[in-house]
Amino acid sequence: MNGPCSVARPLLTGLLCLALAGALVTGFVPSTANGAETVVVGVLSPFTGADAVLGAAHFAACFPAARQINAAGGVLGRQVACKQFDTRGEPADAVPAARQMVASTPNLFMTIGVSSDEASSVMPILDENHVPTFSQTGQSEFNQSKFTYFYRLVPADEYDAYAMVGIAVYLKHYKRIALVFGNDIGSQTFVGPAIRAIKKVGAQMVINQAIALNQSSYRTEVTKLLAAKPDVILTEALGPADAIYLSEVKQLNGGMIPVIGSSATIDPVWFKAVSAAIGVPDLLKYFLANDTPSTFNGPGYDAFRTNLIASASQYPAAPKYAKRGSTIHLYDGIVMTALAAAAAKSTDRTVFQPWIVKIGDGAPGATVVATYAQGLAALKKGLTIRYDGAGGPTHFDQWHNSNNGFVVVRYNEKGDEVQVGTLTNAQITTLSTP
Amino acid sequence: MSIYEASIGFGLVSAAVIAIAAVGFTMQFGIANLINLAYGEVMISSAFVAYALNQAGVSVWIGVVMAAVFGAALSLVLNRLFYAPFQRRGTALIGMVIVALAAGLLVSNVLLAVVGPDSVSYTVADSVALRAGGLILTWVQLAVILVAVAAMTAIHALLTFTRLGKAMRATASNATLARNCGIPTARVIDLVWVITGALCGIAGTVAAINSASFRVSDGATYLIVILAAAVLGGAGQPYGAMLGALLIGEMTELSAAALSPQYKEVVAFAVLVAVMILRPQGLLSKIGALGQAG
Repeated sequence: MNGPCSVARPLLTGLLCLALAGALVTGFVPSTANGAETVVVGVLSPFTGADAVLGAAHFAACFPAARQINAAGGVLGRQVACKQFDTRGEPADAVPAARQMVASTPNLFMTIGVSSDEASSVMPILDENHVPTFSQTGQSEFNQSKFTYFYRLVPADEYDAYAMVGIAVYLKHYKRIALVFGNDIGSQTFVGPAIRAIKKVGAQMVINQAIALNQSSYRTEVTKLLAAKPDVILTEALGPADAIYLSEVKQLNGGMIPVIGSSATIDPVWFKAVSAAIGVPDLLKYFLANDTPSTFNGPGYDAFRTNLIASASQYPAAPKYAKRGSTIHLYDGIVMTALAAAAAKSTDRTVFQPWIVKIGDGAPGATVVATYAQGLAALKKGLTIRYDGAGGPTHFDQWHNSNNGFVVVRYNEKGDEVQVGTLTNAQITTLSTP
Repeated sequence: MSIYEASIGFGLVSAAVIAIAAVGFTMQFGIANLINLAYGEVMISSAFVAYALNQAGVSVWIGVVMAAVFGAALSLVLNRLFYAPFQRRGTALIGMVIVALAAGLLVSNVLLAVVGPDSVSYTVADSVALRAGGLILTWVQLAVILVAVAAMTAIHALLTFTRLGKAMRATASNATLARNCGIPTARVIDLVWVITGALCGIAGTVAAINSASFRVSDGATYLIVILAAAVLGGAGQPYGAMLGALLIGEMTELSAAALSPQYKEVVAFAVLVAVMILRPQGLLSKIGALGQAG
């Protein structure tokens, strides 16, 4: 077989390198509404690749918000449309996606999504172009960032990591702790803070594994983990990685050992994958996670849920995100920003941007509103407002970060989260103080 | 128990899965003269066919058989609809690579639209770990190894002892000469697509069984390892692909045992690059069954 082989061997080798580089396509999907009178919410997230589940949840946030805003007449008469921009979860793909979004969307209103996979690489572009961005990144570099247009309604990952250690040490009294996190940027953000917190409280980190995502098996890694004899595994490895890893823990250990997940593991897609791999009873029995507090009731949440379910005609997967924290927070970000534009009487991003914090935090005596329609009605009466939406009240600091602490949760049989405890601010402070 | 002994066992399972896939891939390249970048997508599509049956209560092992049938049919269709028309017009190899890439994107996006992006798992009876010395394997993993051994034996027998195998080797060596000697090369190539498609379907399903959880995007992941095994063993060489699979499978697991797991693929591919520098034609480029005919 000399003919084809001699010609093609270098080509085959080149293709192998190309495949390893991994980036073949950066796609984006048309918007859900068109026309000059629309304003666009760009959802800049991973829609393909290992973290594609994040994009799906972020996209789900846009539809109920747009639906609610459009039903109330839009933003100063302009309808809201949702449009995907795929970062593939890779900085190399995220930068062109962000540039393309800005360049090709003259009616861009704001951006949501922007996970830890791409936040560092795209925020300079978004800030430079004055695009208000509600981000789901947990990276600590945004705790005190210089980006004027950056907003975050979730705690930094380091606090997520402190909360995981807090559950292990304060609530369950485990001593020997294993860290198993994906080797992606987002998941590795947890490791340093977790190690510091474990040392601080006198527990022992028995093994720290950064596992490559998209592997078909982790048996060697699991064998090493079991040899370290951990009391508990702290983990965030998205995609099918946790499902595969934990099923192999169960198989090689002859049963599960306790697992504590980050807030990102409270997710219907994660539940479906892991419960199928290790069985629902074991997931319910051995798994705990932290999450941001959410009551899943009240007028703000009810409006979110009603509009989310109604959005199924546009985005069939939407209803399954009714209790997904990222979906709820990003929805709140859109409604808050739309109210800021209404209050500023402008859809010019540089004009309404300063109003976002005013709407979120409110002023003393401000009228509390839970929906866009309520906010609009109050503004028309000349009242100042404070938006208390689906995810609860907002407390922005000077760097536009807002968080409301942590609760301890587990899953029920349906995959919904059930609160089983809380971590006090004092406990988190103890773990986070150097 | 040594972690390295256990890793060798795990490496055997990985190698078994890779070998089934890589042999089919390298035969497509060697005989049909095509770098089929849609291979991983056919694998994962076949795995989902087995999943649909499994969800309907059918044993996953029957699903393997049905996945083989589906893989064979889909591969034949891809060749007839996409590849053969371009090859008849004399499209260069690089052009065929782009055609195959397009076919793969088409298959993966159709599959994504049908099954969605979520991870799923087969329902397989709980299989406890069996320990022998330092090796730890389950019955399911032993079955996967047996499937691979059976498939490799069948391919060896096909290429060595049958008229079809000889015709395949002749077609691989020089299709024009083979045609002039009375070998119906078009039919031979159709059969190559059927046989390698069946291997592809089997490989996709056993890979999914082995990994406990799988999803549409895994097709692209499979392809990287398959390419590596095929290149390492010698492009177009079935026995080379088997050897390449064994080396890649073992190197990834042993490096995970010796180093941080995040470097397991890095080590394996570094060895691959080193081999390609020292022996660019691959390890077995002159002694594979297909090569003997040339």
